[in-house]
Amino acid sequence: MKTQTYVLNMGPQHPSTHGVFRIILELDGEVVVKATSVPGYLHRGIEKLAEARTYTQVIPYTDRMDYLASMLMNWGYVAAVEKLMGIEVPERAEYIRVIVGELSRIASHLVAVGTYSVDIGGFTGFLYCFRDRERVLDLLEMVSGSRMTFSYFRIGGVADDLPPEFFPPLEKFLKDLPSLCDEYDGLITGNEIFQARTKYVGIITPEMGINYSLTGPVLRGSGIPYDLRKVRPYGVYDRFDFEVPVGKNGDCFDRFVCRIKEIRQSARIIQQAIEGLPEGPIMAKMPKVIKPPAGEAYAEIESSKGVLGCYVVSDGSPKPYRVHFRRPSFINLGYLDELLVGWKIADVIAILGSLDIVLGEVDC
Amino acid sequence: MFGQGLLKGLAITWKELFTRKVTVQYPEEKLPLPERYHGRFELDVDKCIACGLCANACPNKVIQITKEKVGKKQYLTKYVMRIEYCLFCGLCVESCNKDALKFSHVINMNQYYRDKVRLVLVDRPAPEALPEEEPAEPDAERPAAARARSARAEVAAGKAPGKEG
Repeated sequence: MKTQTYVLNMGPQHPSTHGVFRIILELDGEVVVKATSVPGYLHRGIEKLAEARTYTQVIPYTDRMDYLASMLMNWGYVAAVEKLMGIEVPERAEYIRVIVGELSRIASHLVAVGTYSVDIGGFTGFLYCFRDRERVLDLLEMVSGSRMTFSYFRIGGVADDLPPEFFPPLEKFLKDLPSLCDEYDGLITGNEIFQARTKYVGIITPEMGINYSLTGPVLRGSGIPYDLRKVRPYGVYDRFDFEVPVGKNGDCFDRFVCRIKEIRQSARIIQQAIEGLPEGPIMAKMPKVIKPPAGEAYAEIESSKGVLGCYVVSDGSPKPYRVHFRRPSFINLGYLDELLVGWKIADVIAILGSLDIVLGEVDC
Repeated sequence: MFGQGLLKGLAITWKELFTRKVTVQYPEEKLPLPERYHGRFELDVDKCIACGLCANACPNKVIQITKEKVGKKQYLTKYVMRIEYCLFCGLCVESCNKDALKFSHVINMNQYYRDKVRLVLVDRPAPEALPEEEPAEPDAERPAAARARSARAEVAAGKAPGKEG
């Protein structure tokens, strides 16, 4: 009997790709023989757009990369420009950055956890996560005026101080958060069907994780405690006491659990940041026109998806010569083709979801 | 025991029956917007000095300003925002030194036609001459400014005239 493989096209319009992402699957029955990922459907050319804009005007565009954690995207960019100009950010601004950045991380992880639950087939978990994400978005809306594309960071500080009405709901949210995480654990993590779908599926070995330069929860799920906030602290992260949760097996389940644990740790960081929030200015002394000296700088921060790097080249003019982003989702996606081989079609969804990609960031 | 996790999940959803609902019936019931909300733009024409800082701050060249020289001063005759390209980042509002450009809490800016989306904040002819050192508005300017203001109020009340977005 002669059998042959066939090609199945998945995406670009597919709910589990969380955007517009295409995978061409070559299948032997139900088993993936070869996978070819095709990104690029959401490419807007932010690198090119940045060339025609001043340094400050690039900030709103960084929002549109990882639109689920915009604050962190802002941070990566302004960190690079500040490094290029040699600006010391005031302490209060650094603390505010930590607070809003960690809130953004929580919001992003809540989406990751919720949508992963939907990918596996449990709609209830999704609703619980999005219910609580709304609270984070309400908080960030008070600070920045927008719900998703904040544009809150400025080169040298932040746009505005935290409003006084921001603190009571934040305190309440932080108080509720551990019990909310317990709810997700009870609803999703502890569910036997969920575990059967995700445990020992899509295993990434620590060696392969490092070789493909994976970062974020995808790498930490494989048991490598590599978190930029810990190993190479930027800003004021060296002052906070928190743990870096890691997985054991490197499967989809571990990557998922890592995210819930990180939400708990983020809450701890925010609590410490509120307690230690110093008084003072929120902007460094900046020139009217931002004109960094000719040169280049590369800065990295830990985004919710992994290490976000930003490379800025200046030719001395008010507009950047080049702005390039190392997007964690894109790099993490590089291992997908190899990772999918040998797994069944249903596992493809589980594996792709566990990488937690955002297409705005992948295609930039 | 297999199935314990499922029961625990059911217990959590069961508990939800006795909690307060978190959703609102949107069009009838609206949640209050925060102070800093980035809604539709408002321009205080009396404060605006037509310096053009907002137009320069915009990443997308949304703001188009036309001004005329009346006497010694610049007089703002037209302030148009191509709101279809607006990112609502707030850089223009931040750049305004005179506090003239502001965000409002109006969120329904959708229109059926693209050319209706354009937001015309000021459209008025330049007066012949500005009266010197007078706190009151010049006569030629008042009706136009008042018209623009009343038009904005109408939009806020949900009756958008064709010209405004």
